Amino acid sequence: MRARLTRRTLFSLVLGLLLLSTAAAMRGCMGPYQHLLSQLQRQAHLTEDTSSLLEPYIHLQGLNTPILRGSCTEHPGAFPSKDALRGLSKRSFLRTVNATLDRVLKGLVALQKQLLNNDLKELETARQNIQGIRNNIHCMSWLLGGSSETAEPMQTGPGSWLQLTSTLDVFQAKLEGCRFLRGYHRFMGSVGWVFREWGESPSRSRRHSPRWALHKGVRRTRLFRRGKRPVPRGQLPW
Amino acid sequence: MAFFAVFQKTLLLAFLSWRTFQSEVLAEYVSLTPESLKVSTNSTCQCLQLQWSIHELPHHQELKMLFQMEISRVKPSNVIWVGNYSTTVKRDQVLHWSWESELPLECATHFVRIQSRADDAKFPELSIWSNWSSWEEVHVQHSLGPNTLLVFPKNKLVEEGSSITICYISGINHNNITCYLHDKLIYGVQLDSKASAFKLNNVPFIRKSGTNFFCEVNQTDIKSGATFFVSKVLEEPKNFSCETQDFKTLKCTWYPGVDTGLDWNIQPSQSYTLFESFSGKKQNCKHKNSCNWKITQDVQETYNFTLTAANYFRKRSANIIFNLTHRVHPMAPHSVRFQRLGATPVLMSWKVHALGNYLTLQCQVELQGDGEVIQQHSVDMKVNGKLLFGELVPDTEYMARVRCANAKHFWKWSEWTVENFTTPEAAPSEAPDVWRTVKSENRSHIVTLFWKPLSKLHANGKILFYNVVVENLDKPSTSELHAIPAPARGMKLTLDQCSYRIHITANNSVGTSPASVIIVPEDSGNRTEEVEEERIIGKEDGFFISWKPQSGDVISYVVDWCEPHQDLFCNLQWKKLGPNTTFSLISSDTFRPGVRYNFRIYGISTKKTAYLLEYKTGYSQELAPLDSPQVAIANLTSRSFAMTWKDYSTESQPGFIQGYRVYLKARARQCHPGFEKVVLSDDSVYCKYTIDDPRKKTFVVENLQPESSYEFFVTSYTGAGEGPNGTFTEVTTPDEHSHMMILIILPMILGVLLTMLSCYWKSDWVKEKCYPDIPDPYKSSILSLIKSKENPHLTIMSVKDCIPDAIEVINKPEGTKTQLLETRKPVTENEVTKPVYLYLLPEGKDSSDPGPCICFENFTYNQSATDSGSCGHVSVPLEEPPCQLGLLPSPNNLLKTLEKNYMNSLGEMPAEETSLSYVSQLASPIPGDKDSLPTNPPVPAHCSEYKMQMAVPPCLASLPLNENSSHSSMTL
Repeated sequence: MRARLTRRTLFSLVLGLLLLSTAAAMRGCMGPYQHLLSQLQRQAHLTEDTSSLLEPYIHLQGLNTPILRGSCTEHPGAFPSKDALRGLSKRSFLRTVNATLDRVLKGLVALQKQLLNNDLKELETARQNIQGIRNNIHCMSWLLGGSSETAEPMQTGPGSWLQLTSTLDVFQAKLEGCRFLRGYHRFMGSVGWVFREWGESPSRSRRHSPRWALHKGVRRTRLFRRGKRPVPRGQLPW
Repeated sequence: MAFFAVFQKTLLLAFLSWRTFQSEVLAEYVSLTPESLKVSTNSTCQCLQLQWSIHELPHHQELKMLFQMEISRVKPSNVIWVGNYSTTVKRDQVLHWSWESELPLECATHFVRIQSRADDAKFPELSIWSNWSSWEEVHVQHSLGPNTLLVFPKNKLVEEGSSITICYISGINHNNITCYLHDKLIYGVQLDSKASAFKLNNVPFIRKSGTNFFCEVNQTDIKSGATFFVSKVLEEPKNFSCETQDFKTLKCTWYPGVDTGLDWNIQPSQSYTLFESFSGKKQNCKHKNSCNWKITQDVQETYNFTLTAANYFRKRSANIIFNLTHRVHPMAPHSVRFQRLGATPVLMSWKVHALGNYLTLQCQVELQGDGEVIQQHSVDMKVNGKLLFGELVPDTEYMARVRCANAKHFWKWSEWTVENFTTPEAAPSEAPDVWRTVKSENRSHIVTLFWKPLSKLHANGKILFYNVVVENLDKPSTSELHAIPAPARGMKLTLDQCSYRIHITANNSVGTSPASVIIVPEDSGNRTEEVEEERIIGKEDGFFISWKPQSGDVISYVVDWCEPHQDLFCNLQWKKLGPNTTFSLISSDTFRPGVRYNFRIYGISTKKTAYLLEYKTGYSQELAPLDSPQVAIANLTSRSFAMTWKDYSTESQPGFIQGYRVYLKARARQCHPGFEKVVLSDDSVYCKYTIDDPRKKTFVVENLQPESSYEFFVTSYTGAGEGPNGTFTEVTTPDEHSHMMILIILPMILGVLLTMLSCYWKSDWVKEKCYPDIPDPYKSSILSLIKSKENPHLTIMSVKDCIPDAIEVINKPEGTKTQLLETRKPVTENEVTKPVYLYLLPEGKDSSDPGPCICFENFTYNQSATDSGSCGHVSVPLEEPPCQLGLLPSPNNLLKTLEKNYMNSLGEMPAEETSLSYVSQLASPIPGDKDSLPTNPPVPAHCSEYKMQMAVPPCLASLPLNENSSHSSMTL
C-alpha cells in the first residue's frame, strides 16, 4: 500500500515536472502571431539563400565546375515540393517542416563530421538557424492550437537523405551532400513561400485563426502565468 | 658384333640407371613447385594478395627458398612485373605475399604465376627453379552495363609529389568519354576496349577535401568520378624542448609544422608520441604542439625524450636529452610588497614558488620612473627576496618589476611580476622662484608678486598653498601673512612708501619650503626715466641680451619680460642669472614673430633690492607693417601739395618702423628731383621717395604742374619690408588763377546774397513805400449801388449817398501806439499816417448765420487766403474810433471775434480758391437807410451780399493794384 502511494507520488511529481517544463518552454512563445509569422518568413528567406551554405560547400569540396554543378541537383522527392507544402493544412505544414528540418539537422551533423577542423563554418550557422526556425515553428504550432510534433509529418522518398558511411565513395558523397544542400535551400524557399501566403491570404488565415486571436484579452493575463500550462480556449477545425 | 651388342646393352642399362636417378631427382624438384596459389584483391590499397604453399619439403623441415612472381595485365603474355620473394619455408606453411598495383585493379584483369627454388647453399642440388604455377586470373567483380562508366580508384590517398594512376572502365566508346581533373580536360591511355588510364605525376596538395577527377559521356548525363587525396609531407617537429616550473611536471613543446589531416576521414592530423628512453615510458600527446610529462617521485635527473610525429605515410622524430635542473623555468614571483621606510627609501620583498631547497634563484629587479629604468639590481634567493630602494624622490610613483631564473644553470627567465608604488611626500626642498613688478601710484607701491610652481623634484608633494609674509622694515613689529592657495602663481600687494621685505614659501602637506625674499625699497627701484630704451634684434633661438657689468654689490641679475597673451595680459617671465653674468640668451617657445618684447635687466643688490639697469626692446622676428598710413592732403596749390599722416602709430606695428616710402605716379613718367624711378613688373612706373626718419610724418611734393593729376601712395617699412599695397590717391593741382577767381567771385556772391536778404526782410516797407496797393474804383460796390438806384447821373457820386465803410483819420496828433496782432511789427511813427480801418462786425459766429454782416474792409486787402495771419492780423488800432465804438465791447473781443469769423469763412472756402486774394465790399443792407446807420446797428437777420471784386494770384498782386489801393484810400 505504501509502495503504491510512493509510486503515485513519484508519478505525480514527474507529471508536474513535465508540465512545468512545457510551461517554461511556452513562455518563450510570447510573440504575437504576426510577429512570429514575419520572423519565420525572414528566417525562411535567409536560409533559402544558397550563398549561406551551398556555395561555400561547393567551393570547399572543389565542385565549382560547370559539369559538377550540373550534377548538383536536388534528388526528386528528397524534400517536399512547394505544391505539396501549399496543399497542407497549417498544422500539417508545420509538422512537416519541423520533421524535415529535424532530418536536415541530422544530415548537417553527419556532413560536419566529415570535415576536419570544422572547415565549413557555415554549417554551424545553418544548424543554429534551423534550430531557431524549429523553435519558432514550435511556437507557431502552439499559437495555432496544436503541436508540431504530435502527428506524423509528410513522408518523403526513401533513400533520399544524405547517408555518409565509412565505405563511402567520397566523390559520390560530395555530390550527395551538394544535392542534399540544394534540396534544403529549395525546401526553405518553398517554406518561405507558404509562410508568405499565410500573411497575404486572409481567408486562409481565417480558416486557421491563431489561438491568440480568440483570446485576446485572456492571453496576457492567464496564458503565461508561471507554473500553469497555457490552455487553449478554443479549437478550430483543421 | 657381339661386342657391339654388349656395349649396347651396357649403355642401355647405364641410361636406364641414369634415367632412374634422374626420375628420382625430378620427383624431388617437382615437389618444390608452389601449389594452391590463390590471388585476392584489396581495393583500398590496390593490392594483389597471393597465398600459396609448398606441400612437401624434401629432406628438410625448413628450407630457405626464393620465389619468383610474374604479373601480367589484360592477358598472360603481357607481363608487367617480375619479382622475387625470399623467405624460409616450413613444412606445410601457407605463404603470403602482396603486390600493390599502380593501376586500379578494377580497370584491368591481372594474371599471376609463381615459381620457386631453394635458396640454401647447403642444398645446391635444389637450386633449380621449379615449374611455374599455372596463371591465376584476377578480376575485380563489377557489373559493367552498356551505359556504365566507372572511375577508379576511390578515395585514393597519396603523398604530395608522388604519382597516381586513375582509370575508368566503360562499355561506351572511348571517343565519347571526356575526363577532367578538377576543371581541366585530361587525356589518358587506352588500356583495352573498356578501360583507359591516366597517370598523374608529382601531384600537388590542393585542398583537404581532395582532388576531383571525373568523366562524362558526351551528350548524355552519364558521369562518374573519383576523389583522390594528396597528403602533405609530414614535417619533423621543430624547436622541441622540455622544461619544468615546479619539478613535478615537464612541459614539452614544439612547432608541429603543417597539418597533414584530410577531410572525409581519409587521414587524421598527424599524431605525436613522446618516448623517454631511460624510463622506457611512452605517452601519446593530446595537443599537436605540447605535451605534459609527469616527473616521478624517484627523482630522475637526466631525460632522453624522443618526439615522434606520424601519419599514414611516415614518421618524423626529434630528440633531446637534458638534465632536469638545467631546464628550470621558474614561475613569476608573487607576493610583492613595498615597505616605506621614509620619504626616499623603500624596501621591496617578494616570493617565488618553491623549487626545492637545493635550487638557488637569481632575481632581476628593475625600478622604473616615468617609463625609464632608474635602478637595476640582481638578487640571489631561494624562496623570499628583499631589496632596498634608496635615493627615491618623495611623492613619486615608481614601477618595480622582478623576474627570476636558475642561478646556477640559467635556462629561462620567469615572467615579470610588475607592481607600482608611490613614495610618501616630504617638505618642499627649494624656495619658490619669485619675481615682482612695482608700480608707484598715489604715493603707494602696487607690488605684484609672481612665482613659478616648484618642479616635481623640489615640490616633494602636492603644493597646497603659498605663504606670503610682508614685513615692514621701517616698522619691524608689523608684518602681514597672506596664505595663497595653490595653484595661484602670484598676488598683488598695495604698500605704502616704506621699505618692505617679503617672504614667500611653498607648503605641502608635510612642511614648508625655504623662503624666497624680496625687498621693496622706498623708491621702488624702477628708475625707468633714467634708463634708455635700446633696440635689440631677436634670432631664431631667442634674444641675445647683454648688459654692462655692475661694480659693487650685485649678487645676481634678473631679466624679465612680458609674454603677451591673447587678452593682452602680461604674463611676466623672468630669468635669474649669476653675479658674474653679463649676457644671456633668452629663449622661449612662446616668442612669436611680429610681437615686440621688452626686456628689463635688474641688478639685485646684497640687500636683495632690485634696481633697473637696462631696458631693451625687440622683435624675435620683424614683420612688414600691417597697414600703411592714412594720408591727408594739405596746402594744395597749383605747384605743390603736402601729405601728412600724423595719426599713424608706429608702435603698434610688427616691427620697428624705419621710415616711409612715398610713391608718386605721374602721367609724365618723369620723376621729380629726389624721387627714384621704379618700374614694376607690369611695366608701371612709379617715383619713389624714401623718408628715413620714422618720426617725420609730413611730406611736401613740389614742382608740380598746374591743372595736373598726380597719384600718390605712402607706406611704411620695417626691417622685414614695406607695408601692404594700398590704393593710390589722386590729387589734381588747381589752375594758377583760380585763387584770384575765388577772391572775386566769393565777395560778389556774398554781396548779392546780402542784398537779396535785405530786400526780403524789408519787402513790406519797400512795398508800402514804392508801390502801395491801389483799389479799382470800377469794381467798387458803391458803383453798383448807384446803378441800382437808376440814377441818370451815373458818373457823379454824391458824398451823401455814400455810406462810409471806413474812416480814415489823418494826422491825428496823439493816440496810443499799439502793435498789430501777433507777429506784426510795431507800428512806427510813419505808419500812423496810414489809413486806419475800422471793421464793424456782427456777433454772429458763423458766416452762414443770417446775422448782420456789415463789415468795413480795406480795399487793398490782397493777401493770400492761405495766409491765415493775413486776415486775423488786421491793422486795428487799439484806440476806440470816433464812431461805432459802442458796438464793440472791447478791442480784444472785437479782434477775437473778427479772427474767429474770418477763419470760419476760410474753412468753408473751396480749396482751389484758397490761393486767391479776395477783395470785397459790403453793400448797404437797406437802401436809403443811411441815416440810421450810425445809431442803428445792422439788422441781424438781413445780410448784405459780398461781391467778388477781383481775384489776384499772390504772385500777381502787383504794383498797379497796390498803387490803386493807395490811391483809393486817398480818395476815400
